[in-house]
Amino acid sequence: MSTSYGAYTGKVLKIDLSSRTVSEYPVNDNDRRLFLGGKILAARILNDFIKGPMDPLGEENVIVVSSCPLNATGCPSSSRFNVSAVSPLTGLLTSSNCGGTFGTALKRAGYDALVITGKSASFVYLDITADGVEFKDAEPLRGMLTSDTQEAIGGKSSKLVIGPAGEHLVRYACAVSDERAAGRGGIGAVMGSKNLKAVAVYGVKAPPVFDKKKLDKVKIKWTKRLKTHPLTGEQLPRLGTAALIASMQQKRLLATKNFNDGRYEKYSSITGEELAERFLIRNKGCVSCPIRCARVVEVDGKIVKGPEVEIMGLMGANILNDDLGKIIRWNYEMDELGLDTISTSGTIAFAMELNEKGLWKSGLEFGKTDNISEILKEISFRSGETGNKLAEGSRKLSEEFGGEDFCIQVKGMELSAYEPRGAVGQGLGYSVANRGGCHLNAGYEVVVEGLGLTINPYTVHGKAEIAVMFQNLMEAVSAGGNCLFTTYAFFPFFLFKRPNSLLSKTVNKLLPYLGGPLHVINKYPHLAHIHLTSMLPHTKALQAATGMKITMGDLMRIGARGFNLERMINSRIGISEKDDKLPKRLTDVEQVPGDPRTKVPQAKLKKLFYFARGWDKDGHVTKKTAKYYSIDDLDDIGARAAADNGGGYR
Amino acid sequence: MVLVEFFGMYRLNYHIKTIELEADSVKDLFQKIHDINPYYSVKELRHSIVIVNDVNINELKRYRTPLKDGDHVLIMSPASGG
Repeated sequence: MSTSYGAYTGKVLKIDLSSRTVSEYPVNDNDRRLFLGGKILAARILNDFIKGPMDPLGEENVIVVSSCPLNATGCPSSSRFNVSAVSPLTGLLTSSNCGGTFGTALKRAGYDALVITGKSASFVYLDITADGVEFKDAEPLRGMLTSDTQEAIGGKSSKLVIGPAGEHLVRYACAVSDERAAGRGGIGAVMGSKNLKAVAVYGVKAPPVFDKKKLDKVKIKWTKRLKTHPLTGEQLPRLGTAALIASMQQKRLLATKNFNDGRYEKYSSITGEELAERFLIRNKGCVSCPIRCARVVEVDGKIVKGPEVEIMGLMGANILNDDLGKIIRWNYEMDELGLDTISTSGTIAFAMELNEKGLWKSGLEFGKTDNISEILKEISFRSGETGNKLAEGSRKLSEEFGGEDFCIQVKGMELSAYEPRGAVGQGLGYSVANRGGCHLNAGYEVVVEGLGLTINPYTVHGKAEIAVMFQNLMEAVSAGGNCLFTTYAFFPFFLFKRPNSLLSKTVNKLLPYLGGPLHVINKYPHLAHIHLTSMLPHTKALQAATGMKITMGDLMRIGARGFNLERMINSRIGISEKDDKLPKRLTDVEQVPGDPRTKVPQAKLKKLFYFARGWDKDGHVTKKTAKYYSIDDLDDIGARAAADNGGGYR
Repeated sequence: MVLVEFFGMYRLNYHIKTIELEADSVKDLFQKIHDINPYYSVKELRHSIVIVNDVNINELKRYRTPLKDGDHVLIMSPASGG
């Protein structure tokens, strides 16, 4: 299957681990036009396979590893690729976005995506080049940490690997590539369940872009914008994402003691500033990224990746630990063991509260940190009763020991470090996000509710419409291959350089009341025949790279198509309105006693969100909405007539 | 004395975490910070996020917000996301 578009290879491989056969999955240009790449194209492909509830750790689950059109084009911050499957943590469709070099290498090897089905009879890894796919014995790699695995495979290839946690089917095991992780949802466990230790890919020739001259012009301007913007040019390179801790504390957004509070009295020991002053060796970036937000630190004489804001909050304030050195160590250990840092930390905090309330005596206590490293190992190897139970995630723990009201998860996925009672739009997002309690799939509204901008965090006005708009934008930007941090450059400079100016104050005051206009844009994105070249060059870049006509409206429509399609797949699995809910601690208990604003008005927000999304009251995508996004009558890609070219691959 | 804590670029650029000084308003505070460390320009400080006892000065009297002994002031640069 070839393509008439630039920046795509035109080839998607289906790799069946059971039969060890390789064939082409006939994705066509119409699919590329509608679903772009990354997580959205992955959802389109998985739509063929997910017909209802399934065992995520069973042979029937399918992993889609998808590159994006801007991978390997040299556009700034455009190396992100995606891994999707049914999550063993939630039972729903999950997508994990990852930086590093793998997506670029996959494209250079000549493949837009891999569709991995079945289960290998023996422990293997895949070695993929332009010549095809080899199934290689992974027994020598069994039990290895993620960095050792990558080193042992060696060569020039980029790798996506699992650690012991994935091998032992920890429900929130991640997959690691370079030092980056496809973190959330348990992709590592799905790989482990298929006896797949790693995928290595090597290639040298990127597919040609549609209009190189034009793309080069966009790249120059785009890079300049990112380098000069106060957030992407200074804050993120200097302080990383951990810059947020102080703001989170101040805005009552810092999850503390298993989300009992939004402030931690010892927060000043675990800030991004402390990290920069005491531990930072240098900053680092993914391929072609001028932002370079990653922290480089030292643990036991090794130079390793430092922690992000989520883990600093969750392994700091949320378990009452003010020792930043320990957070850095645990972060490193979790990356090496192949554990998702957010779900691991959330599960541990929940277990601490169960212990405190006498519901499960696990030995985990708030503020007690000397046993955490051992617990991380026990989880990863499922050794011992405690580790084995923690490996199931917090929802399963609450099913066994109780504590549902303070089990801080949505649809089985643990929340990130942002306490939503300090930003109710973020709370809405958590409750309706397709992959569960994910701050990004939620729409990351907290960025305007106190972190970047300072709109009223407690009002319901405009929150549903902003959530929809941000979700759509982030879906589309991810599918294009960009890091979500590129969207921060959307915000005009003055909002950050002049936060006290009358104009900034006016924007912050007015934004919640723009729900009406935002609703129209969300509802009819095709009307937005515009480019926001200086702020969001993504459309121009995609246009120059692929040759597709993509305006802002088209981009938003692609994002909305992805979000709705994922919801439709989840509906098929059994998700409805009843599942879009936060734990009662966040909806029924005031964060600040006596201040009724400080809890998430979930029912009201959800109603507004369903209306804004064009869903029915039960939370299902209506036929009209599905038709608008051309996802009402999708065929089975795999069933399309295609030449059987399986013999062309090893 | 007023306790002033610096975060973000205001801390990294000039290597000051906290200082204690006497000031009767935010405007006065900015001037005194500048006097102590001339690298902090008053103009630059006016573009920082200033929190007095947990409240943003934009919700108080902005630069005319009065300060008294024991007040806690945070001076922060804008953050983004993670």
